[in-house]
Amino acid sequence: MKGNPCAAVYNARIACMCIFLSRILRAIFFPLIVCGLLVLLCTPQTWAGDWQQPEKQLAARIAAVTGPGAVALDLVNRSSLSPADVEHIRRGIVTELQASGVNCVKAEQATATVTIYLSENLQSYVWASEIHQGTNERSVVMISVPRPATMEDGREQFPLTIHKTLLWSQENRILDVTLLSGNPQRMLVLDPDQVTLYKLQASRWQPEQSFAITHAKPWPRDLRGRLVPRKDKNHLFDAFLPGVVCHAATNPLLTMNCVASDDPWPLGTDQINLSAFFTPARNFFTGVLSPGIAKQTAAPPFYSAATLPREKYTLWMFSAVDGRIHLLDGITDQVTASPKWGSDIASVHSACGSGWQVLATEAGEGASDVVRAFEIPDREPVPASQPLEFPGTITAFWTAWDNGSGFVIAAAHNSQTRRYEAYQLSLSCNQ
Amino acid sequence: MRRTSFLLAVISSALFLATAGAATRPRYGGILRIAVRAAPMSLDPASPEQVDWVGFSNISRLIFDTLVTVDDIGKPQPALAVSWNPEPGDQRWQLNLRSGVTFQDGSPLTCSIAAASLRAANPNWKVFCAGEALTIERDSPAPTLPAELALSRNGIAKRNGAQLDGTGPFAVAQWNPGKKLVLAAREDNWAGRAFVDSVEIEMGKSFRDQAISFDLGKTDVIEVAPEEVHRAAAEGRQMQTSAPLELMALVFARDRQSAEEAHLRQALSLSIDRALLNNVVLQGAGEPTSSLLPNWMTGYAFLFPATSNMTAAQEERAQVAQAGVWTLSFDTNDPVERVIAERILLNASEAGLRLQITAGNAADIRLARIPMVSPDPRTTLAELAAALGLAPPRAGDSIDSLYAAESALLQSGRIIPLLYLRSAYATRDTVMNAKGDRSGSWELQNVWLAEKPVPRRQLMQASQEP
Repeated sequence: MKGNPCAAVYNARIACMCIFLSRILRAIFFPLIVCGLLVLLCTPQTWAGDWQQPEKQLAARIAAVTGPGAVALDLVNRSSLSPADVEHIRRGIVTELQASGVNCVKAEQATATVTIYLSENLQSYVWASEIHQGTNERSVVMISVPRPATMEDGREQFPLTIHKTLLWSQENRILDVTLLSGNPQRMLVLDPDQVTLYKLQASRWQPEQSFAITHAKPWPRDLRGRLVPRKDKNHLFDAFLPGVVCHAATNPLLTMNCVASDDPWPLGTDQINLSAFFTPARNFFTGVLSPGIAKQTAAPPFYSAATLPREKYTLWMFSAVDGRIHLLDGITDQVTASPKWGSDIASVHSACGSGWQVLATEAGEGASDVVRAFEIPDREPVPASQPLEFPGTITAFWTAWDNGSGFVIAAAHNSQTRRYEAYQLSLSCNQ
Repeated sequence: MRRTSFLLAVISSALFLATAGAATRPRYGGILRIAVRAAPMSLDPASPEQVDWVGFSNISRLIFDTLVTVDDIGKPQPALAVSWNPEPGDQRWQLNLRSGVTFQDGSPLTCSIAAASLRAANPNWKVFCAGEALTIERDSPAPTLPAELALSRNGIAKRNGAQLDGTGPFAVAQWNPGKKLVLAAREDNWAGRAFVDSVEIEMGKSFRDQAISFDLGKTDVIEVAPEEVHRAAAEGRQMQTSAPLELMALVFARDRQSAEEAHLRQALSLSIDRALLNNVVLQGAGEPTSSLLPNWMTGYAFLFPATSNMTAAQEERAQVAQAGVWTLSFDTNDPVERVIAERILLNASEAGLRLQITAGNAADIRLARIPMVSPDPRTTLAELAAALGLAPPRAGDSIDSLYAAESALLQSGRIIPLLYLRSAYATRDTVMNAKGDRSGSWELQNVWLAEKPVPRRQLMQASQEP
C-alpha cells in the first residue's frame, strides 16, 4: 500500500477507491459506477451507525495538527466495527480532511503521515490518530464515539437475521446433510443406516444412489455423524460415525466402504484444518485435537466446536461436556459465560459484523429448541440475532464443510410430525 | 406396570430436561471451600494495611456491601444507594440509601452509619446526612465519585469497638486473622440469600499449597499463578481467568533528579524485552505493555509501544557520561519476580546500565504488582497515582484528556510498565456459575454447588431410554 494516495486499511483491508481506469474501461463502467453511487446515495441510512459527526470531529483534530497540506493516510481497525462500517468511516474521514484542506497523497509526496486507529473500550469506540510530521515527535489526537443505540440495546434490535431453508425430511434420524456443487446439484444425507445421494431434478430431490453403512458394534444412543465431501475426482466423500469411517470412491463405479476406525473427525471446513477424536461409544469428542490449535493439542471433552478466524490466529470455541464454553486461541484456554447455551454450536461466515459468527442452540419453549447467532468481540458472546425457533429438539448441528462456511446444517426432530428435518442456516445483515 | 414405569421415566426425564437443560436452575446448600494467598489480619475494609487488593477485595465484598457497584462495562449501578446526583461542578454529591437493609446483627442501615463508615475510609471527605440522604463533599471536582464508592475500601461497615458488621450476603461465623475465615449465608440479605450455606476461606496459602489442597479434594476454588495457568489447564483443571487487571511494573522510589536521569530511565524502559518476559517467564499468560491502563479499559493502550529497542536504549544511555548503580528489589518469596528481575538486569546491562539486586526495602527501583482497582479508567488511574505518591491526575471526561493524564503519569518517569497479569482460579467441576467478572470479583453469592454436573446430552439420552 506504500505510495498509495488512499488510506490503507489493516485488519479489514478495503480496496482503494482511487482506481485509475483506462479510458476504455472508464467508458464502459463509468455510467454503471455513477448509477451505483446514485443508488447508494439515494438509499436511506444503510450503515450500523451514524459516523458523520465523529468523522468531522477527528478530521478537524487531525487538521489542527497538520494544517492544510498533503498527508499519507493509513487506517487500522482494532475494533469490532464491520468492514463496511470501517470503509464508510475511512471515506468520511478522507472527505472531511479534504474539506479542511488536508489531501491524502502518496507517501513520498506527503509532508506528514497519519495513522488512524479505530479501537474500542468497555463503553465506546475510541478513534485515535498518530501523526508524524518531519522529524517532529509524533502527535496523538483521539475522540471517543458512543456505540450506536442498536448495539447497546441488543434485546430489541439485532444486527443479524438467521435464515432457515428446509433441505430434507425423513422418518429416519438425520445425522448430517451436505450439498455438492455441480450441475445438476446433488445432496448427500447421512442417517444411521446409509448415505443417500440425491440429485436435483425439476426442483425436486430425486434419490440417485444409496450406500449402506456397515458397523460391527452397536451404535451408541444419541448417535452422531458427519459428512465430509472431498474434492478428489475419484473420492467423493467420507462419512464419520462413532468408531467407523466410510470412504466413497469411484472405482470405477461409485461405492462406499466402511471400516472400524478411530480416525479424528474434521471439525473445521475445507479451508480450516482441525480434527478431533470422537469417543466411540458415546456422543462427544474426547478433547484430543489433531493437529491441534497452534501449541494446544487438547481441549476438554466436548460436544461441538466453532471456529472464528481472526487476523493473526484462529479462535476455537468448544461446547464442553461440562456445560461450559472454552475458548482456545493456540495459547490460552478461557472459559466464557454462556448460561443459556445448549450443547451444539457451529460457526458461520457472513458479510456482516466481524465476518464470522457463532450459532448456538438454546432451550426454547417446551420441547423445542432455538438457534441464535452471537458475535464474539472480546471472548464473550454478544447476542447478534433473534432466536430462531425449530419445530423440536435439534439432533445435529454442523458448520457446512465447504462454500466458505457460509452455512450451518441443522437437523431437528419435529415433535409434531415425528419426522427428522434438515435445514440449511445462513445469516443476513439487518439494515 | 412396565408401561407405567416407562411413562414415569419419561416424565421424570422431561422434568430434568426442563430444569437441568441449557438453563439449569441453581441449587441451594453446601459448603464452598476456598484457598487464597492473601492473609489479611483485619477484615476492616478501610484498613490501610490491605496490600493484596484483588484477594482482599473478594473477601471483603462477601461481608461488606458498597453504596454503588460497577458493572461489567464499567458503569456504576445501584447497591446500598438507589440513586445519586451531583451538584453542579461534581464536587458535592447526594445519595439516597436503600431502605430495608440490615446489618449482620439485625440493626438497620442508617445514613449516619454509612457516613461514619465512609469518613473512616476517606478522612479527607466531608460526609454528612440530611434526613436519610447522604451527602459527600470533596475538596475538588469528583466526576467519578460513584466509581470510587464502588471500591472495596468504601464497603459500608458498622463499627462497634472491635466488632465489625456488614450488610453483605455473608456473615462472619469464625475469624482467625490471617489464617481462616468462615462465612455463613445470611437469610435476610437484601439481595436474597446466597446459594451456598457457607464459605470457608483458608488464608496465607502459597500457590503450591493451594494446588495440593485442591488435588486432595480439600478445596473447591484455588488461585493459580499466571505462569501455571497452561499447566493447570493441561492437567484438566477448570480455569476461570479474568481480564488483565494487575500491572507488573518497575517503580522508582523517587522522582528523577535531572535530565540525565530521565535519559537513563528511558534507556532502561527501551531496553527491557517485555515479549520475552511474557513468553518465557510467564509462559504467555501475561500481556506486554508500556501503558498503565489496559486496552480493554481505554481502547488506546496500543499507542504506547511495548517493543524493546536496544539501539534506542543505547543512544539514550550515551546521552549521559556517568551513570551510577541502581538497586532493584522484588518480592523474594516470588520465584517469578526473581527471574524477571534477573532478565531486566541482563537487558539493562546490554544497554550500558548498571542494576544490582537488593533484598532491602530502600532500593532505587521496586518490581511491583499494581492492581487495577476499578473497571473505570479514571478511578484506576487516580488510585495508581496515589499508590505512587504522585498528585492525582486531572483526567477530564474526554478520552484524550484521559490519554494525556496517563501520558503525563508515564512521563513522570516514576514507573515503567512491563506486563499485565490476569487473575486465574481453578474450580472444581461441581462449582457452578463461578464466573468472575472482568474485575476479577468472585460474586460467590451467585455460585452454587452441583452434586454432579449434568451435561445436557446425557439428559437427552436418558429421556430416550425406555
